[in-house]
Amino acid sequence: MTVTTAPAPIGEALATRRPSPAIVVAGLLGGAATTSGIALTATSGWLIVRASERPVILTLLTAIVAVRTFGIARPFFRYIERIRSHDAALDDLARRRTSVYAALIPLTPARLGRATRAQVLTGVVDDLTDTVEAQVRVSVPVLSSVVAGLLAVGLTAWLWPPVGFVLAGLLVVLALACWLAWRLESRSQDELLAARAEVLRVSDLVARQADEVRAVGGQARALGWIDAAHDVWRAAVRRQSYGRALVAATILTGTGAATVIAAYLALGADVSAPVAALLVVVPVAVGDALAPLTEAMRSLARADGSAARLTGLLTQEPAVAGAGTEALSASLAATGPGHASRGPHLTLRDVTASWTGARTDLPPTSLDLPPGRRVAIVGANGSGKSTLLAVLARFLDPTAGTYLVDGHDALDLDLDAVRALIAVVDDEPHVFAATVAANLRVAAPDASDDALVAALAGAGLRGWLDGLPAGLDTRLGIGGRGLSGGERARLGLARALVSERPVILLDEPVAHLDHATASAIIHDLTDATRGRTVVMVSHRPEGQAAFDSVLDLTPSLDR
Amino acid sequence: MRPFDPRLLRTAPAARPPVAVLAVVGVVQGLTTIGLAFAITSLVVAVVRGHAVAVPMVWCAGLFAARAGLAWVAERVAAWAGVEVTTALRRALLTRWLSLPAERRPAPDRAVTLAAQGAATVEPYAARFLPALVAAVVVPVFAVVALVWVDWLSALIVVLTLPLLPFFAALIGKTTQDDTDKRWAALAALGGHFLDVMRGLPTLVSYGRARRQVEVIDEVSQRHRVATMRTLKLAFMSSAALELLASISVAIVAVSVGIRLTHGSMTLSAGLVAILLSPEAYWPIRRVGAEFHAAADGAEAIDGILAALAPNAATDRAAGPEGALAAPSDREEVGVRVAGLTYRYPGSDTPVLTGLTLTAEPGLTVLTGPSGVGKTTLLEVIAGLREPTAGTVRAGSVHLVTQRPFLPAGTVREALTLERDATDAQLWDALRAVGLDGFIASTPHALSTPLGDDGFGLSAGQRARLALARATLSDARVLLLDEPTAHLDRDASAVVHDLIADLAARHTVLVVTHRPELLARADQHVHLEPEAVRAR
Repeated sequence: MTVTTAPAPIGEALATRRPSPAIVVAGLLGGAATTSGIALTATSGWLIVRASERPVILTLLTAIVAVRTFGIARPFFRYIERIRSHDAALDDLARRRTSVYAALIPLTPARLGRATRAQVLTGVVDDLTDTVEAQVRVSVPVLSSVVAGLLAVGLTAWLWPPVGFVLAGLLVVLALACWLAWRLESRSQDELLAARAEVLRVSDLVARQADEVRAVGGQARALGWIDAAHDVWRAAVRRQSYGRALVAATILTGTGAATVIAAYLALGADVSAPVAALLVVVPVAVGDALAPLTEAMRSLARADGSAARLTGLLTQEPAVAGAGTEALSASLAATGPGHASRGPHLTLRDVTASWTGARTDLPPTSLDLPPGRRVAIVGANGSGKSTLLAVLARFLDPTAGTYLVDGHDALDLDLDAVRALIAVVDDEPHVFAATVAANLRVAAPDASDDALVAALAGAGLRGWLDGLPAGLDTRLGIGGRGLSGGERARLGLARALVSERPVILLDEPVAHLDHATASAIIHDLTDATRGRTVVMVSHRPEGQAAFDSVLDLTPSLDR
Repeated sequence: MRPFDPRLLRTAPAARPPVAVLAVVGVVQGLTTIGLAFAITSLVVAVVRGHAVAVPMVWCAGLFAARAGLAWVAERVAAWAGVEVTTALRRALLTRWLSLPAERRPAPDRAVTLAAQGAATVEPYAARFLPALVAAVVVPVFAVVALVWVDWLSALIVVLTLPLLPFFAALIGKTTQDDTDKRWAALAALGGHFLDVMRGLPTLVSYGRARRQVEVIDEVSQRHRVATMRTLKLAFMSSAALELLASISVAIVAVSVGIRLTHGSMTLSAGLVAILLSPEAYWPIRRVGAEFHAAADGAEAIDGILAALAPNAATDRAAGPEGALAAPSDREEVGVRVAGLTYRYPGSDTPVLTGLTLTAEPGLTVLTGPSGVGKTTLLEVIAGLREPTAGTVRAGSVHLVTQRPFLPAGTVREALTLERDATDAQLWDALRAVGLDGFIASTPHALSTPLGDDGFGLSAGQRARLALARATLSDARVLLLDEPTAHLDRDASAVVHDLIADLAARHTVLVVTHRPELLARADQHVHLEPEAVRAR
């Protein structure tokens, strides 16, 4: 490992389930609530039997007060516990979000998976929430149950030790049942998640591409996929429900056995009748109060899976060593944003690259990019087009060969400085939930409004901008105005334009668009980027005439 | 939003058995719960009075065992119901959408939301909320009936206080509604911020802006925490209030029982039963309230799905023999007859096609025209993917090869047999006809080679040829090809043009193309001009 930011400790810190002090306090408060519930049943039982002995009513006053106190204490403590535990969890969530985000920066984009970055990142958000929720859903109920269970054992053991032993036995059975539940849930968790993801994938596919399926008469086949995915999911859910059913039944069986045995022992006990009644009803109350533990084990299994995924993601090595410290040559540095007087001369010599280290994703490739050169890259899926762009963008270190920036080895140069020369436009530019202006200023924080309008016009969005209710201040993204696929692609292009970076890399910018829109966008972008170095990866032949050369990466065998 | 919509059972018959079993199990569970209160009472009475304990012990053990068995069954049934209700609804939705033209389906994003995420939220609704609902309906009733039998005064107290629970729940809900609504938008924006920034991480990294967001995330997350806690406090407060209300109600029962016991006007067993049974009347109602909060998404999704599945007079008008839907399944027809066709995209004012008339017989018809004139739209209308705004379309069975042909993730064989099964020999014939046989044979697993992101890469031209190979395997009498050779070089195009001419000998082939070589082979040439189309 080099001197770069070390994400490993953060990854491991995330997996920890050791409850924070605030959660421990919440767990103790929960214990008070659960204990109050058990005590309520116990004192009620005692009170009723004592009352039936027709004593002077004054002698019952203490017990009556106790019953009332426990009745009020249970919701009171529960309320405080929930406030405390949720607040602590949300605080924890805020801190972990910040550290996970920071840990992901050096891993982005090369370590996020190739085709489904947005999905991976959405998964991180969900996994993080699950991991933190475990504090509320696992730590608190487990702590509460331990506190309440031990107090109940202590109380009964003090009144009549044999019943205390029985209750302790019940707790052991419950603990075993929980362990079993956790094992069974964990075992089927991965299988269930995979089955659920497959159902979502297939239904997404069919719902989105119903026309394409109908066009080729694939309706029956598509429904067959849905049915197959549903069958796998159904089987997984069934398997998991065995665990849950077993545990629910075990808890009730244990409670029943403990109650009957406690009654038998209370029969021969040297205690008063009301205490004997108390000894019989306490196991029932304990069984009732601790039954929600199975649900906690389900959450625990889920959180385990989430923590494992997060750790796996965050403990990866960054794809760029980023150890270079050499500054860019003075003339280049001066060309930073806003001063694009001269672009860099980029050269690849027999460069190979690999995403995972397991196989070569880019076969030896050479490419000469003097300033202003325009190259289109074509080739089959998997021939290394996107890999080539990632190397050029300094998202991925080459495994062999040299990458030169104005004659200097790119790996020796300051990473951020090289990246600042290059704007990347991918096939799914993200639209932030913010104004049009803020969406563009991501690429150029100091750009004037005029510069933003000029970039939008260059990307063919002038007419669109004029139609917006609040112009540059119109909100986009979630909760704001929606964008068509073509508008999104153009917004990505406008970002690259406004950044004034001298090199623009386009990764299938029109992959998801129809023929007419795609042609129009390619036409606009070749116009707007005149004078800059442009490398465009494309599946399609549109507009290739506007490029100086076409590099075909398809291995000759497959052409 | 209703807790339970009976249309669910009418629309998705597969959901009936699990829901019925769920209800039966819930009722039996309710009965054993009541029975257990009596059994525990007799056990306690036997212990404190020194009576024979054997019989109550057996009853207790038996009823606990029964409840254990029922708990087993209930968990299994709940899981079953969750799956069956979800799959039934999702399958019904997708089946329907696969038979409707584009105009009558929701927009793709909405469709995906309903079929994928929406249907997924139905599972917890069916698996957790429905059992709670059954318990909330039957258990309080059983408890009150049993109480009437044992001690009518306790029953009266329960009957009088029970309605206070839903009443107070509604009252608390109403007074906090405005406040909650006001906060909801702000809360959603704060909560969505992290997801937004995460999904935008690649963009932020690429423009060197990612590190600046770290502080912003911390600040927004803390604001989110404060806002969430304000909302949660209200929710927790109302749930605590309801629990307290239930506690007080039980306490009233207990006081009346206690007083009568000390006066000797009530037996111990009646008093114990009353004390054990009265809480049973309250908790199922509190639980259903808590679960409904969690199941609200599911209930809302069910509303949306049922609405999308409802037979709608306005959208189903054209299903008759005269309507456009007759087009793809017109068995007698071998050609294409389009008369007075006008098509306007939903939400658009200007039609793409106006009063178009066209007839294509078996043979090769080539369709040309400038970009944006509506050639692709015309093919989609003929294929029945869109329904005409005006005019009629009659066509034999249709197979349409679009510009971006649909190739599912799977093997070469699966991609080719999307419409119907075929022998390997037929598949190789089809691949040979498009000149792909050599290439596929050279791949690691030939016909079983997986395609797509995780599999073997295909160039755009190879994808186009694979789609054409699939078209040659189709039973359709009419083949519609949209720019079939746009991605192909001269040699590959020649092979494909020969194939198209060959297909035209047996089919009605309608091709949109810019290639003069293909136009030269046409039996009929239709040129679409924007003005000409409108003038007609």
